Amino acid sequence: MEPAVASGIQEPFDLIRLSLSERVFVKLRGDRELSGILHAYDGHMNLILSDVEETVMIVDTESNQTINYAKRKWEMLFVRGDGVILVSPPSRS
Amino acid sequence: MQLIFSVFKTLTDQTVTVELKNDLSITGVLKSVDQFLNIRLDNIKVSDENRHPHMMAVKNCFIRGSVVRYVQLPAEHVDTQLLEDATRRGVFCIRGSPSGC
Amino acid sequence: MSSLQGYVDRRVLLVLQDGRAIVGVMAGFDQRSNIVLSDCKERVFSMDEGVEEIALGLYLVKGDMISLIGELDEEIDSSVDLSTIRADPLQPIRY
Repeated sequence: MEPAVASGIQEPFDLIRLSLSERVFVKLRGDRELSGILHAYDGHMNLILSDVEETVMIVDTESNQTINYAKRKWEMLFVRGDGVILVSPPSRS
Repeated sequence: MQLIFSVFKTLTDQTVTVELKNDLSITGVLKSVDQFLNIRLDNIKVSDENRHPHMMAVKNCFIRGSVVRYVQLPAEHVDTQLLEDATRRGVFCIRGSPSGC
Repeated sequence: MSSLQGYVDRRVLLVLQDGRAIVGVMAGFDQRSNIVLSDCKERVFSMDEGVEEIALGLYLVKGDMISLIGELDEEIDSSVDLSTIRADPLQPIRY
Protein backbone atom coordinates (compact mmCIF):
# COMPACT_ATOMS: atom_id res chain seq x y z
CA MET A 1 0.00 0.00 0.00
CA GLU A 2 1.40 3.37 -1.05
CA PRO A 3 1.50 6.14 1.52
CA ALA A 4 -1.43 8.50 0.98
CA VAL A 5 0.75 11.52 0.17
CA ALA A 6 2.77 9.67 -2.45
CA SER A 7 -0.38 8.52 -4.21
CA GLY A 8 -1.67 12.11 -4.27
CA ILE A 9 -4.60 11.56 -1.93
CA GLN A 10 -5.05 14.35 0.58
CA GLU A 11 -8.77 14.72 0.87
CA PRO A 12 -11.81 12.56 0.20
CA PHE A 13 -12.60 13.91 -3.28
CA ASP A 14 -9.06 13.04 -4.44
CA LEU A 15 -10.04 9.41 -4.18
CA ILE A 16 -12.89 9.98 -6.60
CA ARG A 17 -10.75 12.10 -8.92
CA LEU A 18 -8.28 9.25 -9.27
CA SER A 19 -11.20 6.99 -10.22
CA LEU A 20 -12.14 9.07 -13.29
CA SER A 21 -12.47 6.87 -16.38
CA GLU A 22 -12.43 3.79 -14.16
CA ARG A 23 -15.23 1.51 -13.05
CA VAL A 24 -16.62 2.53 -9.67
CA PHE A 25 -19.11 1.08 -7.25
CA VAL A 26 -21.78 3.47 -5.96
CA LYS A 27 -24.16 2.85 -3.09
CA LEU A 28 -27.38 4.87 -3.14
CA ARG A 29 -30.33 5.48 -0.87
CA GLY A 30 -33.26 3.13 -1.32
CA ASP A 31 -31.21 -0.11 -1.36
CA ARG A 32 -29.71 0.70 -4.75
CA GLU A 33 -26.21 -0.02 -5.99
CA LEU A 34 -24.55 1.00 -9.24
CA SER A 35 -21.47 -0.13 -11.09
CA GLY A 36 -20.27 2.08 -13.92
CA ILE A 37 -17.41 3.97 -15.50
CA LEU A 38 -17.01 7.39 -13.90
CA HIS A 39 -16.73 10.34 -16.31
CA ALA A 40 -17.72 13.36 -14.23
CA TYR A 41 -18.70 14.43 -10.74
CA ASP A 42 -19.10 17.64 -8.75
CA GLY A 43 -19.09 18.75 -5.13
CA HIS A 44 -22.67 17.51 -4.60
CA MET A 45 -21.51 14.07 -5.74
CA ASN A 46 -23.66 14.37 -8.82
CA LEU A 47 -22.16 11.73 -11.12
CA ILE A 48 -22.10 10.86 -14.80
CA LEU A 49 -21.43 7.18 -15.45
CA SER A 50 -21.39 5.02 -18.54
CA ASP A 51 -21.98 1.30 -19.01
CA VAL A 52 -24.01 1.32 -15.81
CA GLU A 53 -25.67 -1.59 -14.07
CA GLU A 54 -28.09 -0.93 -11.23
CA THR A 55 -28.99 -3.52 -8.63
CA VAL A 56 -32.03 -2.81 -6.47
CA MET A 57 -32.39 -4.93 -3.39
CA ILE A 58 -36.02 -5.70 -2.78
CA VAL A 59 -36.40 -6.23 0.93
CA ASP A 60 -39.38 -7.80 2.58
CA THR A 61 -40.18 -5.18 5.20
CA GLU A 62 -41.87 -7.58 7.61
CA SER A 63 -39.26 -10.31 7.91
CA ASN A 64 -36.46 -7.87 6.99
CA GLN A 65 -35.02 -10.47 4.64
CA THR A 66 -33.74 -9.80 1.17
CA ILE A 67 -36.14 -11.49 -1.18
CA ASN A 68 -34.96 -10.39 -4.61
CA TYR A 69 -32.60 -8.36 -6.75
CA ALA A 70 -33.72 -6.34 -9.77
CA LYS A 71 -31.12 -5.37 -12.34
CA ARG A 72 -31.22 -2.65 -15.00
CA LYS A 73 -28.61 -1.33 -17.43
CA TRP A 74 -27.96 2.03 -19.11
CA GLU A 75 -25.40 3.29 -21.57
CA MET A 76 -25.01 6.75 -20.02
CA LEU A 77 -26.54 7.94 -16.77
CA PHE A 78 -26.62 11.10 -14.65
CA VAL A 79 -27.01 10.31 -10.95
CA ARG A 80 -28.21 13.07 -8.62
CA GLY A 81 -25.79 13.50 -5.73
CA ASP A 82 -28.35 13.68 -2.92
CA GLY A 83 -28.99 9.94 -3.27
CA VAL A 84 -25.33 8.94 -3.10
CA ILE A 85 -24.13 7.23 0.08
CA LEU A 86 -20.67 6.18 -1.07
CA VAL A 87 -18.44 5.97 -4.10
CA SER A 88 -15.80 3.27 -4.05
CA PRO A 89 -12.86 3.10 -6.44
CA PRO A 90 -12.17 -0.04 -8.46
CA SER A 91 -10.47 -2.83 -6.59
CA ARG A 92 -6.79 -3.04 -7.46
CA SER A 93 -6.38 -6.67 -6.54
CA MET B 1 -19.14 24.56 -9.97
CA GLN B 2 -21.45 24.39 -12.92
CA LEU B 3 -20.01 21.40 -14.78
CA ILE B 4 -23.11 19.25 -14.71
CA PHE B 5 -25.30 22.25 -15.56
CA SER B 6 -23.13 22.83 -18.66
CA VAL B 7 -23.40 19.18 -19.66
CA PHE B 8 -27.18 19.39 -19.56
CA LYS B 9 -27.10 22.60 -21.58
CA THR B 10 -25.17 20.84 -24.35
CA LEU B 11 -27.91 18.19 -24.39
CA THR B 12 -30.70 20.69 -25.13
CA ASP B 13 -33.08 19.36 -27.81
CA GLN B 14 -31.93 15.77 -27.22
CA THR B 15 -34.25 13.08 -25.91
CA VAL B 16 -33.63 12.05 -22.30
CA THR B 17 -35.42 9.92 -19.74
CA VAL B 18 -35.77 11.37 -16.26
CA GLU B 19 -36.43 8.99 -13.38
CA LEU B 20 -38.00 10.63 -10.34
CA LYS B 21 -37.68 9.67 -6.71
CA ASN B 22 -41.30 8.50 -6.83
CA ASP B 23 -40.27 5.85 -9.41
CA LEU B 24 -41.99 7.71 -12.28
CA SER B 25 -39.96 7.70 -15.52
CA ILE B 26 -40.61 10.46 -18.04
CA THR B 27 -39.08 10.53 -21.52
CA GLY B 28 -39.05 13.77 -23.47
CA VAL B 29 -37.05 16.35 -25.37
CA LEU B 30 -34.86 18.43 -23.06
CA LYS B 31 -35.91 22.05 -23.59
CA SER B 32 -34.06 23.77 -20.78
CA VAL B 33 -32.25 23.36 -17.52
CA ASP B 34 -31.20 25.79 -14.79
CA GLN B 35 -28.58 26.02 -12.06
CA PHE B 36 -30.72 23.90 -9.68
CA LEU B 37 -30.90 21.27 -12.43
CA ASN B 38 -34.63 21.87 -12.73
CA ILE B 39 -35.54 20.38 -16.08
CA ARG B 40 -38.11 21.26 -18.76
CA LEU B 41 -39.19 18.46 -21.04
CA ASP B 42 -41.32 18.69 -24.18
CA ASN B 43 -43.37 16.02 -25.87
CA ILE B 44 -43.31 13.81 -22.81
CA LYS B 45 -44.22 10.18 -22.40
CA VAL B 46 -44.56 8.46 -19.04
CA SER B 47 -43.35 4.87 -19.01
CA ASP B 48 -45.97 2.33 -18.05
CA GLU B 49 -48.79 4.74 -18.81
CA ASN B 50 -51.46 2.22 -17.83
CA ARG B 51 -50.28 2.28 -14.25
CA HIS B 52 -49.63 6.02 -14.36
CA PRO B 53 -52.49 7.72 -16.24
CA HIS B 54 -52.11 10.83 -14.05
CA MET B 55 -50.18 12.73 -16.72
CA MET B 56 -52.12 11.56 -19.79
CA ALA B 57 -53.02 15.07 -20.89
CA VAL B 58 -49.63 16.61 -20.07
CA LYS B 59 -47.55 17.50 -23.13
CA ASN B 60 -44.63 19.30 -21.51
CA CYS B 61 -43.45 19.66 -17.96
CA PHE B 62 -41.12 21.28 -15.46
CA ILE B 63 -39.40 18.85 -13.10
CA ARG B 64 -37.88 20.10 -9.88
CA GLY B 65 -34.20 19.16 -9.76
CA SER B 66 -34.48 17.89 -6.20
CA VAL B 67 -36.91 15.09 -7.14
CA VAL B 68 -34.68 13.65 -9.87
CA ARG B 69 -33.00 10.31 -9.17
CA TYR B 70 -31.44 9.56 -12.57
CA VAL B 71 -31.34 11.03 -16.05
CA GLN B 72 -30.59 8.64 -18.91
CA LEU B 73 -28.44 10.54 -21.38
CA PRO B 74 -27.91 9.94 -25.11
CA ALA B 75 -24.41 8.43 -24.99
CA GLU B 76 -23.56 9.51 -28.54
CA HIS B 77 -23.89 13.17 -27.50
CA VAL B 78 -21.68 12.92 -24.42
CA ASP B 79 -17.94 13.47 -24.90
CA THR B 80 -16.56 11.44 -22.01
CA GLN B 81 -12.95 12.59 -22.52
CA LEU B 82 -14.04 16.22 -22.36
CA LEU B 83 -16.03 15.50 -19.20
CA GLU B 84 -13.12 13.86 -17.45
CA ASP B 85 -10.77 16.71 -18.34
CA ALA B 86 -13.29 19.30 -17.20
CA THR B 87 -13.90 17.41 -13.97
CA ARG B 88 -10.17 17.29 -13.19
CA ARG B 89 -9.77 20.99 -13.95
CA GLY B 90 -12.87 21.91 -11.99
CA VAL B 91 -11.67 20.19 -8.88
CA PHE B 92 -8.27 21.86 -9.11
CA CYS B 93 -10.01 25.21 -9.40
CA ILE B 94 -12.03 24.60 -6.27
CA ARG B 95 -8.95 23.65 -4.28
CA GLY B 96 -7.15 26.77 -5.48
CA SER B 97 -4.25 24.82 -6.88
CA PRO B 98 -1.93 26.72 -9.23
CA SER B 99 -2.15 23.98 -11.86
CA GLY B 100 -3.76 25.34 -14.99
CA CYS B 101 -7.16 26.98 -14.62
CA MET C 1 -34.21 29.68 -14.01
CA SER C 2 -35.62 27.03 -16.30
CA SER C 3 -38.54 29.36 -16.43
CA LEU C 4 -42.10 28.78 -15.38
CA GLN C 5 -43.13 31.89 -17.31
CA GLY C 6 -44.62 29.83 -20.13
CA TYR C 7 -47.12 28.27 -17.74
CA VAL C 8 -48.77 31.48 -16.52
CA ASP C 9 -52.52 31.56 -17.31
CA ARG C 10 -52.34 27.95 -18.53
CA ARG C 11 -54.13 24.98 -17.02
CA VAL C 12 -51.47 22.95 -15.27
CA LEU C 13 -51.14 19.76 -13.28
CA LEU C 14 -49.00 19.91 -10.15
CA VAL C 15 -47.60 16.72 -8.71
CA LEU C 16 -46.69 17.28 -5.07
CA GLN C 17 -43.97 15.59 -3.03
CA ASP C 18 -46.56 13.48 -1.21
CA GLY C 19 -47.97 12.18 -4.50
CA ARG C 20 -51.10 14.34 -4.69
CA ALA C 21 -52.15 15.68 -8.07
CA ILE C 22 -53.68 19.15 -8.32
CA VAL C 23 -54.99 20.84 -11.46
CA GLY C 24 -55.62 24.55 -11.81
CA VAL C 25 -54.78 27.70 -13.70
CA MET C 26 -51.36 29.09 -12.84
CA ALA C 27 -51.91 32.66 -11.70
CA GLY C 28 -48.29 33.31 -10.77
CA PHE C 29 -44.98 32.04 -9.47
CA ASP C 30 -41.76 33.32 -7.95
CA GLN C 31 -38.02 32.54 -7.85
CA ARG C 32 -38.50 29.71 -5.37
CA SER C 33 -41.17 28.13 -7.59
CA ASN C 34 -43.91 28.99 -5.10
CA ILE C 35 -47.07 28.86 -7.20
CA VAL C 36 -50.50 30.47 -7.05
CA LEU C 37 -53.20 28.33 -8.66
CA SER C 38 -56.71 29.56 -9.28
CA ASP C 39 -59.79 27.42 -9.68
CA CYS C 40 -57.87 24.38 -8.53
CA LYS C 41 -59.03 20.86 -7.87
CA GLU C 42 -57.33 17.88 -6.36
CA ARG C 43 -57.61 14.69 -8.41
CA VAL C 44 -57.84 11.70 -6.13
CA PHE C 45 -56.84 8.47 -7.89
CA SER C 46 -57.83 5.05 -6.62
CA MET C 47 -58.11 1.49 -7.87
CA ASP C 48 -61.59 1.05 -6.41
CA GLU C 49 -63.41 3.92 -8.10
CA GLY C 50 -62.95 6.56 -10.77
CA VAL C 51 -60.96 9.72 -10.21
CA GLU C 52 -62.64 12.04 -7.75
CA GLU C 53 -62.19 15.81 -8.16
CA ILE C 54 -62.27 17.93 -5.04
CA ALA C 55 -62.62 21.68 -5.57
CA LEU C 56 -60.06 23.66 -3.58
CA GLY C 57 -60.42 27.22 -4.91
CA LEU C 58 -57.41 29.53 -4.85
CA TYR C 59 -54.20 27.93 -3.57
CA LEU C 60 -50.67 29.03 -2.91
CA VAL C 61 -48.42 25.97 -3.14
CA LYS C 62 -44.98 26.21 -1.61
CA GLY C 63 -42.20 25.50 -4.10
CA ASP C 64 -40.53 22.95 -1.82
CA MET C 65 -43.64 20.77 -1.95
CA ILE C 66 -43.76 20.55 -5.73
CA SER C 67 -42.15 17.74 -7.66
CA LEU C 68 -43.52 18.41 -11.14
CA ILE C 69 -45.55 20.96 -13.09
CA GLY C 70 -47.13 19.90 -16.35
CA GLU C 71 -49.04 21.92 -18.92
CA LEU C 72 -52.40 20.29 -19.65
CA ASP C 73 -53.55 19.88 -23.22
CA GLU C 74 -57.12 21.03 -22.62
CA GLU C 75 -58.48 19.14 -25.60
CA ILE C 76 -57.10 15.83 -24.40
CA ASP C 77 -57.90 16.54 -20.78
CA SER C 78 -61.54 17.38 -21.45
CA SER C 79 -61.95 14.34 -23.69
CA VAL C 80 -61.01 11.99 -20.85
CA ASP C 81 -63.83 10.66 -18.72
CA LEU C 82 -62.19 10.72 -15.30
CA SER C 83 -64.80 8.38 -13.83
CA THR C 84 -63.40 5.56 -15.99
CA ILE C 85 -59.79 5.96 -14.84
CA ARG C 86 -58.53 3.49 -12.27
CA ALA C 87 -55.03 3.92 -10.91
CA ASP C 88 -53.16 3.96 -7.65
CA PRO C 89 -52.15 7.41 -6.44
CA LEU C 90 -48.59 8.40 -7.33
CA GLN C 91 -45.96 7.39 -4.81
CA PRO C 92 -44.58 10.05 -2.50
CA ILE C 93 -41.04 11.24 -3.19
CA ARG C 94 -38.59 9.18 -1.13
CA TYR C 95 -35.10 10.57 -0.69
